[in-house]
Amino acid sequence: MLDGVVKVLTRIAAITVLVMLGGVIVALVDGSIPALRAYGFSFIYTESWNPVTEKFGAAAPIFGTVVTSFIAMLIGVPLSLGIAIFLTELCPPRLKRPISTAIELLAGIPSIIYGIWGLFVLAPLLQRTLQPWLISAFEDIPVLSNLFAGPPYGIGILTAALILSIMVLPFITSITRDVFETVPPMLKESAYGLGCTTWEVVRDIVLPYTRTGVIGGVMLGLGRALGETMAVTFVIGNAHRIANSLLAPGTTISASIANEFTEADGELYTSSLIALGLILFVITFIVLAGARLLLARMKRAEGK
Amino acid sequence: MNDLESKTVSAMQERPNVDLTKTVITDDTKVETPAEKISIRNLNFYYGENRALNSISLPLFDRRVTAFIGPSGCGKSTLLRILNRMYDLYPGQRAEGEVLLDGQNILAPGTDLNMLRARVGMVFQKPTPFPMSIYDNIAYGIRLYEKLPKSEMNDRVEDALKRTALWDEVKDKLNASGLGLSGGQQQRLCIARSVAVRPSVLLLDEPTSALDPISTAKIEELIYQLKTDYTIAIVTHNMQQAARASDFSAFMYLGDLVEYGTTDQLFTKPRETRTEDYITGRFG
Repeated sequence: MLDGVVKVLTRIAAITVLVMLGGVIVALVDGSIPALRAYGFSFIYTESWNPVTEKFGAAAPIFGTVVTSFIAMLIGVPLSLGIAIFLTELCPPRLKRPISTAIELLAGIPSIIYGIWGLFVLAPLLQRTLQPWLISAFEDIPVLSNLFAGPPYGIGILTAALILSIMVLPFITSITRDVFETVPPMLKESAYGLGCTTWEVVRDIVLPYTRTGVIGGVMLGLGRALGETMAVTFVIGNAHRIANSLLAPGTTISASIANEFTEADGELYTSSLIALGLILFVITFIVLAGARLLLARMKRAEGK
Repeated sequence: MNDLESKTVSAMQERPNVDLTKTVITDDTKVETPAEKISIRNLNFYYGENRALNSISLPLFDRRVTAFIGPSGCGKSTLLRILNRMYDLYPGQRAEGEVLLDGQNILAPGTDLNMLRARVGMVFQKPTPFPMSIYDNIAYGIRLYEKLPKSEMNDRVEDALKRTALWDEVKDKLNASGLGLSGGQQQRLCIARSVAVRPSVLLLDEPTSALDPISTAKIEELIYQLKTDYTIAIVTHNMQQAARASDFSAFMYLGDLVEYGTTDQLFTKPRETRTEDYITGRFG
């Protein structure tokens, strides 16, 4: 009798998830139909975003989203793995707790605070130091000189990416630290017992043993970076254009939506913003599916 | 308590090296006196403030099997982990005294731990295959020290697997994951992995405690064959195993070395009543 009730209740709970997911998808698709009907597939690769002429395209926000997240991962993942490796393999016990606590606190800071800190502290700092240095350092190198060109605004794609890397850091760190701690001490000892150095143990034993968890942690961080709104909106400059330079202002999908929803008059404007949301949803889905695929392929390679 | 202490002292006094050599010589299965591969002298060990080993002294003879027996927590695994300085991984653990390997004190500061561990291999309670293929499980350790051409590497891997009687079982699936083998095979893989680096000492920490009787028998057979080339120290909870597989035995209790002697002597004519009580199963 009781079992039956439990069965029904848990089933309802499980179905709720599906219903909610379905509802979100339906709402997004339904809302973006006017925009998609008006612009068709070209919505994705059109750079212009002009509310006056009602000419909307998602290329700039997609570009900004992908580039900021990519750079954030480029900086955040090695740093997070480094912290996690230090905490689990090398850290003296009395330092372990303070560092772990600091990381958890970092995760707990609301993104609006990262935003104002980024705007009032980090951006001016970068404007005075890192950005002029980058510009002069890569001046004579082709490709790179384009990447770091233009006046140092302070705000821009790079600043947003840096803020994002700080924001994803605690997530990736705490997950990878936890999975690193699941490696049986005996397994590590047997590698040390062969004469491995700490680096060899980490590279050849710990990382392969925990790769599923590590990739999961990185994907969670990437998901956070792709969708992060508030902090990015503060420091990215909110310019609907695709610039060569990382120092130039840009925008991301979520920053555009947050910035413009209140002023979106007219059905096409609103619908274009919802279509942006749908694209973000699809990007996130592709990232998750890609991660699954990667893991499946690794599992197959392992047992070949 | 007094009684216990005095017994420990008497056990230690009864155990000078001269005495041992005599025992070895009178044992007619051994023709020559084996050399001391490792000499442990006045070894103390601390986990933080807790003392886990009290002034242990004993030899490990070259190409002989020395078994360490005693109830859980007596310090036998601790002792084993000193011989390759595994305890160094953990802050707060320290050893005092001397452990001479071929005459060199491995506890001395400045000892190259990686080279030490290449000379002193270790196998654990549970099989610990690395998350890689069977071939790479063996080749991995070799690659740490030697750059070999492919064909030579193949020979080394084959040799290590043959020594551990695993070759015929895995030769057709060398690229399969080491995690896919049975527990007994995994443990032999781990022994092969240690052997492949060509150490001179093998430390076996309850190598069969997670295995079924048939796999256990195979490992014991293996130990018998390996001792022609290696000095072996084995920790075991299994009295029969110690009696079957070892040449020398040490009985430890609460961090003390209670009795050390040839395995024959220790199991047939123990000098200490505590040893007798333990091996006859009256406690422990």
